[in-house]
Amino acid sequence: MNNPIRELSDAFPDAVVIVDSQGKTIAANAQAASLFGYNEREITNMPVKALFPGQLLTVPRQRSGHADTGRYFEVVGTRSDSTQFPAVAAWMPLLIDHFVAAVLTIRVIAESQSAQFVLSRGLETLIWEGQDRQALLRYLIRAREEERARIAADLHDDAIQVISAASLRAQQLGLQLRDPIARQVLGKLQETLNLSLERLRQLIFDLRPPDLESGRLAAALRAYHEEMRSDSGIVYKLNDRMTAQAPDPVALLIYRNVREALTNVRKHARARTVTVELLDIEDGCLARVVDDGVGYDPAEVEARPGHLGLVLIKERAELAGGWCRIESCPGTGTTVEFWVPLAESFAEPGAGRGRAG
Amino acid sequence: MDHIFGRDHYRVIALVARIADLTPEEAGRVTDAWKQTSPADRARAWAGLVRTTTETERYQILAAASLARREALAAAHRMQRMDWAFWAAASDAAAAVAAGPGIGSPYQTLTAPLATVMPSLAGRQAPAETRPADVTAASSTTSARARKSASTP
Repeated sequence: MNNPIRELSDAFPDAVVIVDSQGKTIAANAQAASLFGYNEREITNMPVKALFPGQLLTVPRQRSGHADTGRYFEVVGTRSDSTQFPAVAAWMPLLIDHFVAAVLTIRVIAESQSAQFVLSRGLETLIWEGQDRQALLRYLIRAREEERARIAADLHDDAIQVISAASLRAQQLGLQLRDPIARQVLGKLQETLNLSLERLRQLIFDLRPPDLESGRLAAALRAYHEEMRSDSGIVYKLNDRMTAQAPDPVALLIYRNVREALTNVRKHARARTVTVELLDIEDGCLARVVDDGVGYDPAEVEARPGHLGLVLIKERAELAGGWCRIESCPGTGTTVEFWVPLAESFAEPGAGRGRAG
Repeated sequence: MDHIFGRDHYRVIALVARIADLTPEEAGRVTDAWKQTSPADRARAWAGLVRTTTETERYQILAAASLARREALAAAHRMQRMDWAFWAAASDAAAAVAAGPGIGSPYQTLTAPLATVMPSLAGRQAPAETRPADVTAASSTTSARARKSASTP
């Protein structure tokens, strides 16, 4: 080994290993020997791969053109006692005594850099998991809507038809009965059948409000307000300032979100008044649901799991290419506001902007 | 780590670090300024922001907004000054910073409340004697601390 090269490598603060074209170390500085836990004689003639087991290290065989030349790449070094350490390394081809050798410099990643590295990997994992979670929610939202539509159709086409037929037959039977007790029993039976029909129709209404199908979002919301007013005593105000008509999928999304927000008001807010506003904003709809209830501390509530309703409001809006804000403070009520574009391509989860589900 | 808040992640981190240092008086100014903007104007700004960005950028913007909101919420707790307009303002500003000034008027609308105490957000400098620690000032200890904590290998 040329003495100047040896002196140069010894002067390096990093560990330096000089490797021949066969991948064997022909020299190493004291820092390298110390880093890997060998003496200088032991580390010489070792296959360099033994210092980095299980990793692809391509030794440069010429002075230029090697992919890893002149840049650091991440490696995990293994010491003589089998302990490992994270490091970065770089190759530098060198012409020594008419043959090309390769100088490998190895720099141990400091603890803070190592933590940064782990953090960076952790963030990447979080992003992937966040994307998985979004895809799952997208699927959940779409599956819920499809399931609602299917149940509504099944109820309409099957259960309601069967009960209606039973009710008609009961009426026909009633015309033939003379016994007052039997007529009374039949009357009760008819009442029960009618109640079943009414409940099933209400269920269909909840699953797919007919007003929405005829493009009347405000009317659907008003109907829901009426229903809630009767059993909660909360005063509802609807301020509809929408002039554009939302396409059906967008209207359904707005309806679902407002309804979810109102359900939360009824369950948790202890509010006297709740105001729903619908406004045209930037080719989209801004919906605001503001109550005067007890409010909550977001730091406390958001730290607890189990707020799927609020999460769904946010996800539905964001997946549709919009945004959502849900804010509150103790004693100041709660505000839910979201904006969604009216363009139908954004409204269907999974459609538009490459949102394949 | 760069990509979590987009290409302006250092500015986002500097902003978030600065939120933690706000005084109750500064938080009050931010809150008051936020309430002066109409919900419709803010909604317009947010709509503009989400419409002019790609899905990936929106993810970064929402991540920045979420982090700033949490930091402001924690700061509000420390200050015992609970008004959601404060953390909403922080969230708006971080979203706009992550999107970058190139988005135009939505940037101004969304950063304006926080810019009352962080003038650099509005792209202007307050007089030196009244200027609080600035999120982009090279001499700011906050910025230096943020840069240090955000440095990547």
